[in-house]
Amino acid sequence: MKFRPFRVSVLLLSLLIPAALVAVVFFLVAYSGQAILFNGLHFMTQISWNLGDLYSDPVTVNGISVPPGANYGILVFIAGTLASSGLAILIAVPLSVGAAIFLAEAVPHRIRPALSMLVELVAVVPSVVFGLWGITVLIPLIGRYLSPSGNGYGLLAASVVLALMITPIIASTLYDALLQVPKENRESAFALGATHFEVVAKAMLPMVRTTLIGGIVLALGRALGETMAVLMVSGGGINILPTSLFSPISTIASFIVSQLDSAESDPTNMSVRTLSEIALVLFLITLAVNATAKLLSSGALNVRKRQS
Amino acid sequence: MKILNNLLRTGVAALAIATAAGAAHAQTSVPLVESGSSLLYPLFNLWVPSYTATHPGADITTTSTGSGAGIAQSIKGLVQIGASDAYLSDAMVKAHPEMLSIPLAISSQAVNYNLPGVTNLKLSGPILAGIYEGKITKWNDAAIAAANPGVALPDHVIIPIHRVDGSGDTFIFSQYLAFSDAGWAASEHYGTSISWPAVSTAIGANGNSGMVTAAAANPYSIAYIGVSFADQAAKAGLGQAALLDKHGEYVLPTAETIGNAASSVAASTPADERISIVFTPGENAYPIVNYEYAIVSSKQPAPAIGSAIRDFLGWALSDGNNMSFMSKVHFLPLPAAVKALSQAQVDKIQ
Repeated sequence: MKFRPFRVSVLLLSLLIPAALVAVVFFLVAYSGQAILFNGLHFMTQISWNLGDLYSDPVTVNGISVPPGANYGILVFIAGTLASSGLAILIAVPLSVGAAIFLAEAVPHRIRPALSMLVELVAVVPSVVFGLWGITVLIPLIGRYLSPSGNGYGLLAASVVLALMITPIIASTLYDALLQVPKENRESAFALGATHFEVVAKAMLPMVRTTLIGGIVLALGRALGETMAVLMVSGGGINILPTSLFSPISTIASFIVSQLDSAESDPTNMSVRTLSEIALVLFLITLAVNATAKLLSSGALNVRKRQS
Repeated sequence: MKILNNLLRTGVAALAIATAAGAAHAQTSVPLVESGSSLLYPLFNLWVPSYTATHPGADITTTSTGSGAGIAQSIKGLVQIGASDAYLSDAMVKAHPEMLSIPLAISSQAVNYNLPGVTNLKLSGPILAGIYEGKITKWNDAAIAAANPGVALPDHVIIPIHRVDGSGDTFIFSQYLAFSDAGWAASEHYGTSISWPAVSTAIGANGNSGMVTAAAANPYSIAYIGVSFADQAAKAGLGQAALLDKHGEYVLPTAETIGNAASSVAASTPADERISIVFTPGENAYPIVNYEYAIVSSKQPAPAIGSAIRDFLGWALSDGNNMSFMSKVHFLPLPAAVKALSQAQVDKIQ
């Protein structure tokens, strides 16, 4: 076989990305190994989180040295992550579908590029800016008009901020796809006497379904991993499961950041290892979401529907 | 912002070391890097320009990363001076006997409230513990009323606000509760992040600025806010609570009451200076006061680094402990006896 330098170099470069992914997973598993042993399975189902008394001498539990009173349960953070991201998607999808259709169908050609660029610009606004907006504008609004206790921090604030952050991601992918819909489809639908709404709903949207799901997955990825903006508006719920839209929550990503500094003063290092284990859980959740979406968009689930 | 910095801390520290190392080749000076407490950061930023102006060749980089990060990086030798609001724990000292906790200044903390119509609230450790544990839920609770005779307390749910990020403020606040309330000591302990009891009305806020915003946005809330944010808290219309000291008096945080707390432990401060000055037995002594620490290894890799650290910290304890620096960040200078102890520790750095 002939040696092809171009092929080999491209192959090596393309392997870098999966290699980085594997390295991250490997590091997380190796580093959190002791924490996984200590925490067991109830790690995922327990509500109470306690770093323990970092200023007393460590105790040995099952041969593992931990701070006294240390007890790590992350159900609250899993619930907060799924609830805030799910709610954000529920808010963002109708918004972004509307925005994309508006851009593709209703806006005069001349100002369309300017408007679509504006939408894309929102996607690159740093998350701290969204967080600040949440604190100064959104939270007082929620507190005054919606929340029964007058407290605006919590699940709803986090979800709305996340929804605003991900709307442009979904909208701009969908808008690009709508522009790609063949003219013939659109025009023949009009020729059949369809109204503008029917053209969009029946001739165009079905063709961009896959792209829409792809956009949602991309958006969900950002929502699940968002840290700073959520930390600023979520109310930092700990040891308590959310019961309403106005309950304080914590997401996995924001919780890791908020605890890291204290964890570093843990003489046994178990706190940092446990935070790595939480990161691993977040990684698995993201993986599961992506796999489900891939399945949805590839139509694997559709085939069954058609047969029945 | 502390959290954001925290994320970037490795990068920043590495960059600082890299640039400092670059500078070292050009000159003969030894580059020092300070990293840690966001509360001490403004003081270091006042100190370093003054110090370098009078000590040509000094090369000190400051970064704000959080006390925990400062401690961890100092132990690993990534930075020369770790800044921390809390001293090293016994277990940490046992694991790293070469690490010193050297007080540089005195800081304090206010308990602020947003209570329409009330301006002179008195609170105690057990009352605060009850509020943060969810046992005292209304402002007109009998325990609060007993401490505030003649004050018209509203029949409204209390919103306790705590820090979500790891913080020296949480450390000294939870110490006040743990030292004055046996129930809190047994269940919640103290630390820079603690396992806050499940209270449905509680809010977590990010950083001292987040605490001020959250308390201002939520009438009937209560929050603990570091002294460096006292001006912002006052501007936001928050009241300062008088707190019950060990002597049985309610005291407001003033230079006098904070100074009383500091001087009351000056004599009993041990040689390694790892002592809390929260809830001290002194008369008219404000209960939430703490030393701000430099966490430094006594065994530096090169004699030149050791002498550079000794020079700078020695200056910080003498000229640097001047009110002209301290008043800008609302800190207080160390009492003379503590200064001497700190200097003795600085002299150990090799």
